[in-house]
Amino acid sequence: QSTIKWRMQTYAGAALAEHVVKPAIDMFNKIAGDRMQIELYYADQLVPTGELFRAMQRGTIDAVQSDDDSMASPTEVTVFGGYFPFASRYSLDVPVLFNQYGLNEIWDEEYSKVGVKHISAGAWDPCHFATKDPINSLEDLKGKRVFTFPTAGRFLAQFGVVPVTLPWEDIEVAVQTGELDGIAWSGITEDYTVGWADVTDYFLTNNISGAWAGSFFANQGRWEELPEDLQTLFRVCCDQSHYYRQWWYWGGEASLRVNGDKMKLTTIPDNEWQQVEDAAVKFWDEIAAESETKAKVVEIFKKYNADMQKAGRPYRYG
Amino acid sequence: MSYEWIAIVMFAGMMLMLMTGQRVFGAIGFVGAVAGMLLWGTGGVEIPFSAAMKLMKWYPLLTLPMFIFMGYVLSESKIADDLYRMFHVWMGPVKGGLAIGTIGLMVLISAMNGLSVAGMAIGATIALPELLRRGYDKILVTGTIQAGSSLGILVPPSVVLVLYAMIARQPVGQLWLAGVIPGLLMATMFIIYIYVRARMQPHLGPAMHPEDLAEYEQVTDHPVRLNYIILAALVLVPLMILAGAMATEHALGLGLALGALSFATRRNPLFYRDVFMKEKYRLLFSGVLPLAIFAAMMVPFVNGWTSLVESSAIGAITAFLAAVLKGRMTKEVFETSVRSTLGISCMFMWIILAALAFGAIFDGLGAVKAIEDLFTTKLGLSPWMILILMQLSFIIMGTFLDDTAMLVIVAPLYVPLVGALGFDLIWYGVLYTITTQIAYMTPPFGYNLFLMRAMAPPEIGLKDIYVSIIPFAAVMVLALALIMMFPQIALWLPEYVYGK
Amino acid sequence: MPRIVRAYVRGIDAMNRFIGRFAMYLIFALIGVLLWSSVSKTFFNPSLWTLETAQFVMVAYYVLGGPYSIQMGSNVRMDLFYGAWSTKTKAMVDAFTVLFLITYLVILMYGALSSTAYSLGYFGLEPVQFFWDLLKTLLTEGPTAAGEKLGYLERSSTAWRPFLWPVKTILCFGVFLMLLQCLAELFRDIGRLRGVEI
Ligand code: NA
Ligand code: NA
Repeated sequence: QSTIKWRMQTYAGAALAEHVVKPAIDMFNKIAGDRMQIELYYADQLVPTGELFRAMQRGTIDAVQSDDDSMASPTEVTVFGGYFPFASRYSLDVPVLFNQYGLNEIWDEEYSKVGVKHISAGAWDPCHFATKDPINSLEDLKGKRVFTFPTAGRFLAQFGVVPVTLPWEDIEVAVQTGELDGIAWSGITEDYTVGWADVTDYFLTNNISGAWAGSFFANQGRWEELPEDLQTLFRVCCDQSHYYRQWWYWGGEASLRVNGDKMKLTTIPDNEWQQVEDAAVKFWDEIAAESETKAKVVEIFKKYNADMQKAGRPYRYG
Repeated sequence: MSYEWIAIVMFAGMMLMLMTGQRVFGAIGFVGAVAGMLLWGTGGVEIPFSAAMKLMKWYPLLTLPMFIFMGYVLSESKIADDLYRMFHVWMGPVKGGLAIGTIGLMVLISAMNGLSVAGMAIGATIALPELLRRGYDKILVTGTIQAGSSLGILVPPSVVLVLYAMIARQPVGQLWLAGVIPGLLMATMFIIYIYVRARMQPHLGPAMHPEDLAEYEQVTDHPVRLNYIILAALVLVPLMILAGAMATEHALGLGLALGALSFATRRNPLFYRDVFMKEKYRLLFSGVLPLAIFAAMMVPFVNGWTSLVESSAIGAITAFLAAVLKGRMTKEVFETSVRSTLGISCMFMWIILAALAFGAIFDGLGAVKAIEDLFTTKLGLSPWMILILMQLSFIIMGTFLDDTAMLVIVAPLYVPLVGALGFDLIWYGVLYTITTQIAYMTPPFGYNLFLMRAMAPPEIGLKDIYVSIIPFAAVMVLALALIMMFPQIALWLPEYVYGK
Repeated sequence: MPRIVRAYVRGIDAMNRFIGRFAMYLIFALIGVLLWSSVSKTFFNPSLWTLETAQFVMVAYYVLGGPYSIQMGSNVRMDLFYGAWSTKTKAMVDAFTVLFLITYLVILMYGALSSTAYSLGYFGLEPVQFFWDLLKTLLTEGPTAAGEKLGYLERSSTAWRPFLWPVKTILCFGVFLMLLQCLAELFRDIGRLRGVEI
């Protein structure tokens, strides 16, 4: 019997993928051995990130790691991928939302409609600004050209931010060539890991979301062809990847804020930042008005955050 | 098929297709697309088109038509004519001076366009017939023009370095700055070679008599003595401050040093030749115009006011307006510039489109891994050996591939490897650029050689062209070796400007 | 050469020349967009749409100008051997190898149709069928009925979120023109082999 071969493309560039996906795929290949091998490709390597969904659905690529937003998924849940403003506070919120509050079922239903298997969702880092000039107030955000996620960009535009989407690997250079003034795409761990800390000077400690939400996906037909044990193995490796990211980011964010020497930290005062949080509530309602499915997801976010608030410390402070 | 076989079959297939003389983009695209259809599995057939979306998102490519347009406006509108006269009148009285002036002309032209073709065209149509008429040796002249035009892609702006930047994911600004000193170094080495040669064999480049210069109108009969070094300082120092490349106090020091140098050399005839001031100043002013265009484009960019892509548009429109203001933008010039820009841009874009598809399919079929494996594990070579082998392979490929094709096909394979071996990718960009230039002008086959053959007058045969470039290629190899040994030649300026 | 073939070659030449000459002025549109980008960035808030608009213009520029560039002979060939051949030999080899170029363009065209169908909300594997049905519906039942055949319209994954079908349609159109032009080149070469210059 010949080896099953998959091509998988992540939306992360090589430097980041070294942490967020490569260990899990290496592990999969080691265990699956001659039965199956997954060849991992990085951001824009085989197809541009904007075409990822299409390529997977068509079978050009067998599996994908991305958030729904970046890969331009044609589903009702796209806006909730990546950084939906203030949807979560901690990275543990994401798996709870998917596994205990019913997001898994919604995602599964939505992706089944378009010929793609939604395998497993997980959390990454919070979303912060890394900029060339210091951000000390909302005023400072005005007119800044910032690389960010499509939906986060739509939200931030009301504060005068000019969202720009470019190929991931071009970001560092774009900051240097003046195409970008900053980045609102990650936490500080990624800023250091991928080299953005070398081209920006300031890190804003306020975040617009506590955790990135994204998933592993596969072409529906290709997934169904896999024997059950390999499906299970793949799921286990996804979980391993989710777990690795939980501690890698959580520890990394704190450590670099305290010990990092490439970026200076700035903060917008809480009462001023409250405007952004209030705007997010309005944004949620706008999104909910767009469709029934979106309303359902927003409802879940609201329920979850209310529950966390009631639960009190350590779930929510203040 | 194993990875190695896929690599061999695809590469050999492409070479074979290229040999037939079919359009380069067709040859590359065909091999890529068919490999995608037959070897990839489901959906491989979609990759050639997904390359179109990738190309669309590659934003630095927007600069390509801008720089091409700029180059055409400058050469078609004959703004360079005055430039040539400037060098002619200023340098004419020196032995070999017209050839030296041609190199100077090429440096200025390089600062205004991104390809070497424009320099070649201007050199071959304006300088070449003039120099031959003045009794210059045809072999020296032919070599000078070919060598000089090679500066076009080394001195910023440079289209080849933009493409390299995209492939290597390195900052274009730094790459451009990295090309400045090596470009000037090479120009200086060419000039030294020509000067020494003309001193030893004066018949190769006879000095012009003042009477010969009189045919330019408005020449006065009151020669004034003026030191070239002072002049250079007057232009260079403010320019460097303006570009932000030098702090004011350093520039002051440089000015003083150059002043002292000019005092020390005041008796050297090379530096105080008789000067027919009026005409010379008029022509000097015409030399300022291209510099102004260059500054209009580069100053906002280096200072971060505009992005690279925006600056290229500023450069294009400034060149266009300059031609309009000088009354040179006739209907024909407009038509030729606009049409040729479309032709060359399309040529580039379709090759890149095909090469992106070829590259993605080559990569997705595992062939890239096979090549990396071959170099690093199987052959077990040291990093420097691998680097030198790569340079040699460029020289061989330069005999039959054009520069864009070579860049978009081969660089994606080599660049990651160079990075993995621990070399600086900005430095490598400069090495790469010089190497390809050597490749295009070394016999028996080379892109620049063919261009030269197409543009040169009938009395210059293919053999003359072949012979002519030997000393200049040797100078370039020497420059290459210097930059390999002393990477700071390339890296000092970008580090200085971008040092955080 | 049959009259119809000559008419085809001349007709395609004229049409592509016209379209190419329209495309060549797009360079000024491109300059304009980029200048606006730098002006708006310096004096007001930077615009959201400039970079993507410039990219769309660029696509139209090179893809619609492609056939005209073939007419002008701008597309480089490796002339190591080719350059030394006689006109007749060139025509003979070209008439054969242009088929490879056409193969590439057909595959490119298929991908373009498939991707454009996707951008109009068709997720199946038969893009040609989809367009055929769409055209039939449009002709027999009118634009409203055709509109109902469309699904989720693909948007660019940026904050500006432009629809992608217009630029993909331009790409389809441009590649199609390129195919027509290459067929014309094939006929021209066959003509040359028979001693007729079209
Ligand atoms: Na240049
Ligand atoms: Na050569």
